[in-house]
Amino acid sequence: MPEPLDRTQTAIDWEAIERSPEFQELVHRRRSFVIPCTVFFLGWYLGFILLTAYAADFMGERVYEGLTVGYCLALTQFAMVLILGLWYLRKADKEFDPLAERAIQAYADHEHHPDVGRRFEREPASAPTQEVRR
Amino acid sequence: MTVFAAEINTEAVVVFAIVLSITLGITYWASKRARSAVGFYAAGRQITGFQNGLAISGDYLSAASFLGIAGLIYLYGFDGFLYSIGFLVAFLTVMFLLAERMRNAGKFTIADVLSFRLNEAPARTAAALGTLSVAAFYLIAQMVGAGVLIQALVGIDFALAVILTGLFMLCYVIFGGMVATTWVQIIKAVLLMAGIVVMSLFVLERVGFNPIELFNQAETKGEAEGSTFSLAPGTFLTSHIDTVSLGLALVLGTAGLPHILMRFFTVPNARAARGSVVWAMLLIGFFYLLTTCIGFGARAILGQGGVEAAGKGGNLAAPNLAEELGGGAGTFGGDVFLAVIAGVAFATILAVVAGLVLSASSAVAHDVWSSIIRKHRDSEKEEVWVAKIAALSIGAIAILVAVLGGEAMNVSFMVGLAFAIAASANFPALLLALTWRRFNTTGAVCGVLTGVISALGLIVISPIVWGGAPGAPDTGAFAWYDLNNPGIISIPLGFAGCILGTLLSRERKAERSFHEMFVRSETGLGAEKALSGH
Repeated sequence: MPEPLDRTQTAIDWEAIERSPEFQELVHRRRSFVIPCTVFFLGWYLGFILLTAYAADFMGERVYEGLTVGYCLALTQFAMVLILGLWYLRKADKEFDPLAERAIQAYADHEHHPDVGRRFEREPASAPTQEVRR
Repeated sequence: MTVFAAEINTEAVVVFAIVLSITLGITYWASKRARSAVGFYAAGRQITGFQNGLAISGDYLSAASFLGIAGLIYLYGFDGFLYSIGFLVAFLTVMFLLAERMRNAGKFTIADVLSFRLNEAPARTAAALGTLSVAAFYLIAQMVGAGVLIQALVGIDFALAVILTGLFMLCYVIFGGMVATTWVQIIKAVLLMAGIVVMSLFVLERVGFNPIELFNQAETKGEAEGSTFSLAPGTFLTSHIDTVSLGLALVLGTAGLPHILMRFFTVPNARAARGSVVWAMLLIGFFYLLTTCIGFGARAILGQGGVEAAGKGGNLAAPNLAEELGGGAGTFGGDVFLAVIAGVAFATILAVVAGLVLSASSAVAHDVWSSIIRKHRDSEKEEVWVAKIAALSIGAIAILVAVLGGEAMNVSFMVGLAFAIAASANFPALLLALTWRRFNTTGAVCGVLTGVISALGLIVISPIVWGGAPGAPDTGAFAWYDLNNPGIISIPLGFAGCILGTLLSRERKAERSFHEMFVRSETGLGAEKALSGH
């Protein structure tokens, strides 16, 4: 390869961005959404698996004719995937992406490298400009 | 049933020829765009979110998902459906924990993400080991499955079927790289979705479009003598702890499959990566919902009498059902419907093996050759050449093993093994590299090694390998161990390896470079860009 991975952006002060309140807010907000969601979906899924393994009779009970408790719970897994998927998509588009852009912009604008913003403009193909203009 | 006839099935050959000519045409078109490394491995990162969602579905839904799960539901009812749910929920793991971070921090392979902040040579070696073990078992399973199915559906010899599948797959990968592979996967996804929707409509039409009636009829037919079908769990997965272990490997394994993770490098940015997971979840979820329709439809329409014709694991239940829905064996409609479903299954296999070979060859060329052996001194042209040679060699080995191993090889245990290794070796190392500040090279190497060795070792001593039935330890070689799915032991071991290795060693660089990786993976600043602007 002409250049090894990741050595192109060494001029950027990553620690400064990491310390910035904008970045901290992004991380905090994303975590406080993703971690509870992950705990919930793993819990709901593993609960279903445990019921399947250890409560076969309960899962085989009828709700309506041939429809069993097991199948109803299985359908909730499909619903969960749909709801969490669309919710995260919306949340990320509306909340996390703008925050990420603000974190980059705040750094580019004033923090430590006032020239970073100009540098991006001189290199229109670089990723940060695309992120901001998206 | 005509599917077992010795003579060649003409309709099926025609459908296969159509599938092949379309995909080879695309490969020719793609060959001009796959010459650079980013073109060959990542399709120039110009695939849109929706296209990638389709391609992920095409990469993920193997013949085991289509014919295998439908067959298991036909034979056992509820227990077969458990696989559908595990395979689907797994995408939440991918979406929440890995997809966007992978796109932002990586370049072509899983190893790029690990070596970002760890010592390059050991980290890449470990990641390449994880990638190649998963790809090897998954690939051989798919090739054997392809041979068995095509032999039954078209009437050609097993070895010939394996060789033909391998050769066409190699054409896509070597001449068309990721561009051709992506489009083969997209076409396959469209064909597969269309096929299962049409079949489901035919099935639902038989029961007056009332799903409850389908459940009732399947249950009534499932009461036949000798039937294992049940609407309650426990007919196929008889060991409690084994079921939990399988469930765990399914939900975490997808997040360690190299050919799926590699797809996130083909989109222009993290936003498209996110969109593609959600599209894939919608498509895959809809597909798996319909596997019930096919499985129950086969039970309601073919009944217990169709069990023998459905073959081992019920793999031929779906094609046989298609034949019956089209008008029955020997009729024109029956032959055509069977041929179309056989063609869909063929396209399915081709798309999955192409994705697997591409991910394996990228690990060999990008990680082992270019980064470790040549230490980045090779040219891009050389790397792409090595990747093509690697693809050829990996494909040839897979064909050879599948032909020599023959149809008697147990496909489902190899797929289980691939998922177990992915969940125990690749997933812990990737997740911790992206999120844990303290994680270091020793941790990654220990974790991957522990994961691979424990999953492999536990499978080797499992009853399924020694011919014993689950829950009947006296037939196995090791009376004290009767788990067929190692996940519940090997996944915690993989994490433990990562954590202990990290805590027991000291490495300054890994923590220093975490800042860059962390900011980059969260914001996309400095992420690999698309080939040309948008």
